[in-house]
Amino acid sequence: MAESQPTETGLSRREFLRRGGATLIAAGAATGGALWLYDPTGKAGLRQPSPQRLPNYFASVDYPVSAPRISIARGGALDPQTVEKMVRSAVGGLNGGPGLSRFIRKGDVVLLKPNVGFERAPQFAATTNPDVVRAVIRLCREAGASEVLVADNPIEAAPNCFARSGIQDAAQRGGARVLIPANVYFTPLAIREPNPDGTPHQPDPAQHEALGTWPVFWEPLREANKVIGIPVIKDHSLCYASMGLKNWYGLLGGRRNQFHQAIHDIISDLGLMLSPTLTIVDGTRVMMRNGPTGGSLSDVRDGNTIVASVDPLACDAWCYENLLERDPAALRYLDLAQEKFGAQEAGPRSYAEAGRFGTRHWTDYRNRGLIVETVVRSGA
Amino acid sequence: MRITTVRILVQTVMFSLFLAFVLLTTFSHLNDWPSAKWVVSKFLEVDPLVGIATAITTHTVYRGLLWGLVILIPTLFLGRFFCGWICPFGILHHLVGWVFNRRNAKEKIESNRYRPLFALKYSILIGFLAAAAFGCLQIGLLDPIVFLYRAFTTNVLPVANMPAQSAFGDYHVHAYAWVLGFLFLFFVSMNLVIPRFFCRVICPLGALLGVLSRYAFWRIERDPDKCVNCDLCLHSCEGASDPHKQLRMSECFVCFNCIEDCPHEALRFAFLPSRRREIRSPDIGRRHAVFAALVGGLFFGWTKAGGKSTRDFSSKVIRPPGSVEEQEFLARCIKCDQCIRVCPTNVLQPASFEAGVEGLWTPILNFRMGACQHQCTACGHVCPTGAIQRITVEEKLGLAEFEAVGPIRLGTAHFDVGRCLPWSKNIPCVVCEEVCPVSPKAIHCEYRQMLVRDGKKLVRAATATALTLIDSPAPGQAVGAPCTFRPGEFKGDASLSYHVQVYTGGGFVRTFPIADNDADTLVVDGVMDPVPPAGAVAAIHVQLKVPKIDTEYCIGCGLCELECPVVGDRRAVYVTAEGETRSTNYSERDRNRSLRLTRTADAGRTGRVIGEEFRKPDSGEVPDWTSLLS
Repeated sequence: MAESQPTETGLSRREFLRRGGATLIAAGAATGGALWLYDPTGKAGLRQPSPQRLPNYFASVDYPVSAPRISIARGGALDPQTVEKMVRSAVGGLNGGPGLSRFIRKGDVVLLKPNVGFERAPQFAATTNPDVVRAVIRLCREAGASEVLVADNPIEAAPNCFARSGIQDAAQRGGARVLIPANVYFTPLAIREPNPDGTPHQPDPAQHEALGTWPVFWEPLREANKVIGIPVIKDHSLCYASMGLKNWYGLLGGRRNQFHQAIHDIISDLGLMLSPTLTIVDGTRVMMRNGPTGGSLSDVRDGNTIVASVDPLACDAWCYENLLERDPAALRYLDLAQEKFGAQEAGPRSYAEAGRFGTRHWTDYRNRGLIVETVVRSGA
Repeated sequence: MRITTVRILVQTVMFSLFLAFVLLTTFSHLNDWPSAKWVVSKFLEVDPLVGIATAITTHTVYRGLLWGLVILIPTLFLGRFFCGWICPFGILHHLVGWVFNRRNAKEKIESNRYRPLFALKYSILIGFLAAAAFGCLQIGLLDPIVFLYRAFTTNVLPVANMPAQSAFGDYHVHAYAWVLGFLFLFFVSMNLVIPRFFCRVICPLGALLGVLSRYAFWRIERDPDKCVNCDLCLHSCEGASDPHKQLRMSECFVCFNCIEDCPHEALRFAFLPSRRREIRSPDIGRRHAVFAALVGGLFFGWTKAGGKSTRDFSSKVIRPPGSVEEQEFLARCIKCDQCIRVCPTNVLQPASFEAGVEGLWTPILNFRMGACQHQCTACGHVCPTGAIQRITVEEKLGLAEFEAVGPIRLGTAHFDVGRCLPWSKNIPCVVCEEVCPVSPKAIHCEYRQMLVRDGKKLVRAATATALTLIDSPAPGQAVGAPCTFRPGEFKGDASLSYHVQVYTGGGFVRTFPIADNDADTLVVDGVMDPVPPAGAVAAIHVQLKVPKIDTEYCIGCGLCELECPVVGDRRAVYVTAEGETRSTNYSERDRNRSLRLTRTADAGRTGRVIGEEFRKPDSGEVPDWTSLLS
């Protein structure tokens, strides 16, 4: 303590050097820091992170062109055992054998995207049947998936939706991880190639483009290398039907409701945004009216059907005609999706070259014998 | 083990329990552990001030409030042990005072002497109870348990959740949370100025327990023969109860620190001690007590003088589902904000002055934050006082045995047609219809034709299927300029179509869909017979879906308002309290709220008192709220 006592003689040399050194270091640090952070134009602070891009989740599947594109399994009851048999049978129709082995490899991380949009019990068919989700989880596990994720960004409060729909429970029992959306999980995604100069592509409404760079529920997509959509088939007040393409709406964040002004544009864009490994349609119950919310058992009929397909467009068209019992020719977003699929793949390349299947004319597949149907006996 | 060690252990357990309870008070947790909903509000229920004050305002003791006896009766025997051992807010003050203390021993002794200021809490208690006697329940403003629950709901937990949001979902936000946060911080910080400031000076619960300590059988007793007047017993005295002279029974927290600190073993916790060495009554004179009661009574008058809870009601005061009628609600709600904590959508918000000054921090729904979750009745299940009744999903939605009385309506949605995209801007939208969760949907659409911008043209030439159009001539112009449409502009698409309304001669104006157009010619779908004459007015309309509300089905859940893409300070569709079912239609006092908006004058659908008229007489316990078809 003694040396720090003030003296009459002023600073000692040592004290002078110490203070001077400290001052110089502080001044240097302040100058260096300021220069390091210096932004002469004011633009550096406004730079946006470059948006994410999604891979084609179907491209890694070695799928023969001659194999069935749509596989339909029908059953007579809605107990969990029959539902699981229906799922196995539908998937088996595509796979040429039981299980998901053609689609899921050992060690894959699989994202399942059911529709958990509203807080409804499964009976109301506003959300994917949890028995279907559970069966798909089991199939993924059997195929050797190292992890199965279940994610959706519902319209109503997410914890409630996952709880009431039974999907939380199904996931937990099946050993899958549910990801509840939170702000930090969302990240901007660009669904189209950037412009040649590197700037993001701006959607052109005249070309029916709705989705530019937009925040999506990125956390599950970041982790997964396979994506399986498990939509439920239901009436929709605005776009007529919520099916496989519309199911990807549940990955969008932000104020996504503004897209409803161009609902067919956005849904067809969603088909472009994400090419799933596989689509497994829950047609066990079908909401025929008052969609997408429903809320009355009289809105629902038993569909007793599971559809597995590698062609999201044809699958939607099939479901629209056979489950919702409506004419798919009038479904505008299928037209647009087909146009966009073609536009993106530049020229009349084969489906295999394009890396995905995409036709709205499911009857073509029927005529070429690419649709298989099985009937499953009820019970265990 | 020393008695103070036992006390510290008990305090640790109590504060941990409090933390566990508030953390459990979320929809997800209560859904995973349904039985937890019986304990999460337990600290509020054992708070005898809540029980007594609501008993004064409602003349009943609601459900779990009977637990108040668990604290009240032992206090009659032991004094304010609650303050020193159980109260989580007290424990927090105790902890802060201990951790952040920088007084030396002498300064501590001085800071723990009794001061006349400490009698303020008795005036606060008397004022609140006087107001309660008039039916105005305000104890929740300063009751420590209520205060702490509210501070945790609006500030402590959301802020703690900010860095960890990915683990627990997004943190909730609350209107004017900073006011509550500031008050919380103020009371906690005051421990550095006056130890246990809140407990000694403010706490109305402490005051109540102090009054009840009057006849305690046990208390701290000083042996004057052993005492050397060193005042060391004041060193850690939590309550400032003057153990060094005549003990102030109403101030002692029974923390036993003085016994521990006394170097001469002059202090003990004695059964039936000497009456000479105690001061039994609180340090508040009769005049001050009367003055406090007068102020409390006046406060009641002021709250009613504003009229906010009666005739000048705010339509923003939309109460949670299962809430009782507004006057009864204000007589029950202690503003603990447990409902706000448990609400999964963050739609429940603490009110500022929407419901008048007496409704400060009571729950109201703000549909910019969320919407009332269709099949959720969690708020009523954690409400300790029955301001929100425990209802089932079936009761909320008017299903099963409640079909005859219909659903509980929180209010009614309305359109602001000047802001609505299809109504006023010719932009297709109807998100509101999409999300409307009732079946059949309360929001329905009609196709409506509206003139497009500069849509009135004149026919220059016409055939049976085509119209060539010109603009109306400008002033001074003989013939209008040819039209310059974008080719295909009026083809329409899946969400809208275009029509032309044209005078076809013979006194008829007819409308034809437009099939296609080029720069100045419209091709119509159909045959115009007779062909419109040159010079006839042709008006181009866009036809799109516009939404409307059927008040017969609207339950006021607010999902339409939440999801409306017109996101300004007022959405194009918004919910007000009008038509809420909790209003008693026959009552004069809230007749403004109980507008009958339903088309069918079905008396059973309005004017019901939640929790009384239509509850099944045999329904004792309400089943779990996830009961509906799951």
